[in-house]
Amino acid sequence: MGLVDKGKVPKPLTWLLNYSRKYSLWMFQWGLACCAIEMGAALASPRYDMMRLGVIPFPASPRQADLLCVSGTVTDKMAPAVRRLYDQMPDPKYVISMGSCANCGGPYWDSYSVTKGIDQVIPVDVYVPGCPPRPEALLEGVVLLQQRIQNEDPAERWRGEPIVVGG
Amino acid sequence: MTVDFRTEALMQKHLADARINVELETEGMVLNLGPQHPATHGTLRVVVKLDGERVVSADPVIGYMHRGYEKLTEFRTYPQITTLINRIDWLSSFANEVPFIHAAEALMGVEAPPRAEYIRTILTELSRIATFVLFLGEMALQVGAITPAFYGFRDREHVLNLIEAATGGRFHPNFNRIGGLKIDLPSGWIDDCRRVMKKIFDSVDEFEELVVGNEIFEVRTRGVGVIPPGVGAGYGVSGSNLRASGVDWDLRRDGQPYLVYRDLDWKVWTHPDGDSFARYWVRMQETRESARMVVQMLDGLPAGPVMAKVPRIIKVPEGEVWINTENPLGEMGYYLFSKGATGPFRCKIRSASFSNVSILPWLLKGVYVPDIITILASLYFILGDIDR
Amino acid sequence: MTDAEDIPIVEPEPEPEPEPMPETAARLLAQLEKELKDGIIEAAHTFGDLVVRVAPEAWRKAAEVARDKLECDYLSFVSGIDWMPAPKVGGDEAGGDTSAPVQPTETTYGVAGSDGRFQVFARVQSTTRHHGLTLKVDVDEAAFSLSSWVPVYPGADWHERETWEMFGIDFDGHPGMRHLYLPAEFEGHPLRKDFPLLSREIKPWPGLVDVEPMPGEEPSEEGGTGQGGGGE
Repeated sequence: MGLVDKGKVPKPLTWLLNYSRKYSLWMFQWGLACCAIEMGAALASPRYDMMRLGVIPFPASPRQADLLCVSGTVTDKMAPAVRRLYDQMPDPKYVISMGSCANCGGPYWDSYSVTKGIDQVIPVDVYVPGCPPRPEALLEGVVLLQQRIQNEDPAERWRGEPIVVGG
Repeated sequence: MTVDFRTEALMQKHLADARINVELETEGMVLNLGPQHPATHGTLRVVVKLDGERVVSADPVIGYMHRGYEKLTEFRTYPQITTLINRIDWLSSFANEVPFIHAAEALMGVEAPPRAEYIRTILTELSRIATFVLFLGEMALQVGAITPAFYGFRDREHVLNLIEAATGGRFHPNFNRIGGLKIDLPSGWIDDCRRVMKKIFDSVDEFEELVVGNEIFEVRTRGVGVIPPGVGAGYGVSGSNLRASGVDWDLRRDGQPYLVYRDLDWKVWTHPDGDSFARYWVRMQETRESARMVVQMLDGLPAGPVMAKVPRIIKVPEGEVWINTENPLGEMGYYLFSKGATGPFRCKIRSASFSNVSILPWLLKGVYVPDIITILASLYFILGDIDR
Repeated sequence: MTDAEDIPIVEPEPEPEPEPMPETAARLLAQLEKELKDGIIEAAHTFGDLVVRVAPEAWRKAAEVARDKLECDYLSFVSGIDWMPAPKVGGDEAGGDTSAPVQPTETTYGVAGSDGRFQVFARVQSTTRHHGLTLKVDVDEAAFSLSSWVPVYPGADWHERETWEMFGIDFDGHPGMRHLYLPAEFEGHPLRKDFPLLSREIKPWPGLVDVEPMPGEEPSEEGGTGQGGGGE
């Protein structure tokens, strides 16, 4: 919209847009390794239901997803695929890096085939530590991301300005 | 004969379609399944060449989860390796530690006290139940039924609660130490365990009614992906996959004695068919059998310490040893070469799913595309186990 | 004043008897020797298992004998080993740092010995007779190739690809040797002992590094040795 472009969105409208965006995230879960089981437990298990936060899993394709959750070890062989699928997601998109392998290489930090963290390949919004993080930890990561989305200025994001953390 | 204009138009349309089918050339298509695919249990890529709906050749591409375990074990001390090898087969983590710990203990000449061996066996069987319950739900999901998948995750949570209460971690417990276990079981755990086993029996009965008794499931899985026993053994297929082809071989009973299986009264389940249905059925029976074993062990749990006397810094004397065990996925083994240092010289990890998946190029020839998914689901591999 | 009779005479301890080979292992070895004759270089047993080192020319024949005569229909694995001593990687156990193992620097070979730096070893088992054996073979560093087991055990296909990828050992008669785990552009053979793990060379094990100071604080002067206790 022209309003967003020129940075003239009135505050109540921003608030409403962000509110509706944060509670309707479509999560493209990139389950690679053990963290994928915890992510599956968070999404598909009736105990740690993530759908009550508004996050629904299993989009039909990356082009319909808002949120990418990389969970598990990323190897050098897999990293180009992650990059390609991240590029296929439409803006505004967010990335949660789940587990220590995706954060920084984790217990395989000295391996010859592991990428030391997915943030070497795509920009990450929220890091969820743990090996594997409990499903509640992932839920907290999603809640933090939702807080961040609420405080975001869509005009700045549209113009491609760097995201400032805080507030 | 005269026909009315509607029938005439329909006839013309059919004739036109027929002409197109005759005139069009069809060539084989290359279909790429994965590495990111909901049905491949992780990052497995299968490149299949199709002729219509039939597979002409299949080529699995692995390595998307290769973390370099064998090289990493050369740079880590024994306690550090125990943390790492949990994550090879990440659904039944406790079972991965057991053969390695036994290998190190054999080289050191240390024997874990009987209570520790019993608790190790109980936790191994609990891991087996946790994996198989998830399998029972997940294979039904791949075949098309969504509800059993939720049941599988839900029932797995009960077992994970038990493992967490005893070891502190839902999976990746890292509970084994060379010489025994880290600490003893908490109070009240044994009663909780008995209650959970009752739930598991009920849950497996539910799966039997819901899935095995279902006509659609039978039609989709009977006769699909038959592995003849000789071919399977030549490829190194092991575990429930081989037992579903009629081979009566279970390392808990037939291999070198390890843990306390020789003291228990249990049965090895086989099925003569060797198709996907047989693999599902065998795993279902094995879940029940594991639950029965756990109940027996809870009744006969000896008292005593859980840790033998070992030095604080573990140095394993020089030697080599091969220990293999019946893990939920198949035969897992460690060939440990030690030179007397605090870490191994070389540790060859033989993982079950690597060999189970190596049969895919042979198995998928001439199979329909939906059956590929059924076969992949029934072989039940974990990517961490394939790629290490 | 010491009396000569008071000093006890200590006799040197007799060499411990080598443990006798267990019965199954002895039986398998006897059958193998009958078929392979000169192909067997050395045989030993470790923890109840038979380990046999065969000559490189007899590698394929050993597989056939194992499958047909010894009824070992199941292939467990085929892999390699590099006997060169591991390079020093940090970790100074005298100083209390147990973060990385320090391996001995002399080259020693394992059970059933070895002729050179590289060996390939394989394990086959029998699903009917419940026995198994380990076969080892030396790899000549000049030719660096062995005959493939694929015609005998079809599962050896992937195991040999993995051995080639990790060590560089070629297998004659393998249908299509290509990378298994690593991307096609990967250079080097990782499991060789002279392939370094660069992350460890650049930065030591993180447990050795001091606790990261809070923003605004000075980093502490002392060097910690693990346990993260160096700060403030």
